[in-house]
Amino acid sequence: MTAFEIVSQTKTPKQTEAALPGPGSALPTSSGGTFGRLLRFAIANIRRRPERFVLAVLGIALAIAAVTVVRTISASFAITGAGSVTNAIGTHAIWVVPAQGVTYESSAGALVSDGPPSDITLPDGWTGAEMTAGLWNSPHGQVAVYGVQGTSPGKVVASAQLAQRLGVANGGTLSLAGHAVTVSVSGDSAALTVSPSLARDVVGNVGWWVADEPTIDRGRTDLGSLFGPAVGLPSTQNPAEKPARDGKGLVYDTTTGAGAQSFAQKYASAFSGQVTDSTLGLISIIGLVLGFVIAVSSFLASVQERRREFGIMSSIGLADEVLYFFLVESGVVFVTAWLIGVLGAGVAVWAVLPHLATPVAWAQASATVAAFLPAMAIVGAIVPVHRLLQQRPVALLAD
Amino acid sequence: MLKYGLAYGLLSSRRRAREMLLPAITIATGAFLVVIVFATSAGVRKQAAGLGHTDEIGHAIVLIAVTVLLVGVVEAAVATTRTIVGRTRELGVLGATGVRSRPVLVALLVEPFVTALVGALGGAVIAAVVGTVLGATGAAASGVSAGGTVTGALIAVAVSLVAAVVTSVVPVWRAVNRPPVKSLSSN
Repeated sequence: MTAFEIVSQTKTPKQTEAALPGPGSALPTSSGGTFGRLLRFAIANIRRRPERFVLAVLGIALAIAAVTVVRTISASFAITGAGSVTNAIGTHAIWVVPAQGVTYESSAGALVSDGPPSDITLPDGWTGAEMTAGLWNSPHGQVAVYGVQGTSPGKVVASAQLAQRLGVANGGTLSLAGHAVTVSVSGDSAALTVSPSLARDVVGNVGWWVADEPTIDRGRTDLGSLFGPAVGLPSTQNPAEKPARDGKGLVYDTTTGAGAQSFAQKYASAFSGQVTDSTLGLISIIGLVLGFVIAVSSFLASVQERRREFGIMSSIGLADEVLYFFLVESGVVFVTAWLIGVLGAGVAVWAVLPHLATPVAWAQASATVAAFLPAMAIVGAIVPVHRLLQQRPVALLAD
Repeated sequence: MLKYGLAYGLLSSRRRAREMLLPAITIATGAFLVVIVFATSAGVRKQAAGLGHTDEIGHAIVLIAVTVLLVGVVEAAVATTRTIVGRTRELGVLGATGVRSRPVLVALLVEPFVTALVGALGGAVIAAVVGTVLGATGAAASGVSAGGTVTGALIAVAVSLVAAVVTSVVPVWRAVNRPPVKSLSSN
């Protein structure tokens, strides 16, 4: 028999009836399970002090909105990062970047090299190629150009989106820095793909190497440790690691390694980490802490006002149930705040960052923020109630 | 009558200085962030440029700093609801003795106003000091702008004051317009 069933079967004292929320207190005769009754009790209490509920929800919603905006930007970066590295190196196992590093050019939506490809010779048995990757200042803005072996001279491969941006159609002619080339629309790469010689003419000698292991080493997850020493360059599986400026380049081993994440996923994490580790991330976390302070402060005020009510409950054996009341009330506050916060963040992202964030990134961010809610709601309820539960019913009734 | 309401509000604010501490701290935190973001705007823009989308990220940083300031200000309004509950009988006595609602409204709004002013100024001063130290020690590589500090301080103070009054006015209005007999009989 639950405590609520005891209450239902016990003749309620006048004092208890007065202390319970809402006129006439429908609780003792109400239908539904224990959770339904707790929910009704929480709603009755919210209706008793609606302005405090609104303010607590507003404060937490603003904090959640701030975190959601930052997480949306971060998720967008992760999606962009994974896509850009896949476009840049395809499925090659080794990526050798120059000492100057590589940069994600947001105007072009692709990775480009900041320096000439490293001066290396492929070890015996390894296959690979030098790849030109730079920026072309087209009349329609900056466009990334990749020089890929096997692409016929006089031809340029562009995605439908890029072709539309450049105002060309499949089979049409594009003037690429003075070279007239035939457009072939296919794929979804953010960069134009041309022959290596044409790419060098257009963007200069900037790029990287890609390579694949010999058949005998296929399936190994430590290819960097084989390739790096063979070409005299350091190697890593961590995409957050940058090449030394005074070095000759860095070998990225794109095999999974000891972990479960692919190189593209690790690159995406490093990319999105730039946002969460920046000023944006720091400010939003401070906002979330302030939102939590508001929740606790609001519940503390509520506990203080209802000391006599809880004294009466404790005196009839409902001491632990007080915590359940607050847990459900806290849950209602946080869920409402989350709904308002993520919707507000969606509007803010759409208004301020239309080119940066996507609905998928917003949905991912909303889900990530929702993961914080149970912990915040539980701690937000326990902190104020803990002090109350330490006291004897007579002490609560005496105030 | 309004000046009496104002004087009454100031006196009761002095009495309740301890209760105003937490909201003042939360507002100061938000104001600090706003001022620091504006003071180090060159560095913030550089960081935004590093992420690409310089303008959009720069706008987002300012938007989020102001949002955090608003979160801090909401605590002042929550504190006002606590004040109202604690002074329900007092409000009933004022109503029963014929004091009009407008001066009482002003008296109750003094507390969130003073809290917002003290918090925002405190946060702005701390941010200015921290900014100066960062600038002097070279910790802020892109420098600290005096103009940005003043702009940030003005924005922080203005936003705090307006938001504190706007968020507090509804609970205060409801309390002031409650029938005196209900306020006096409340437990």
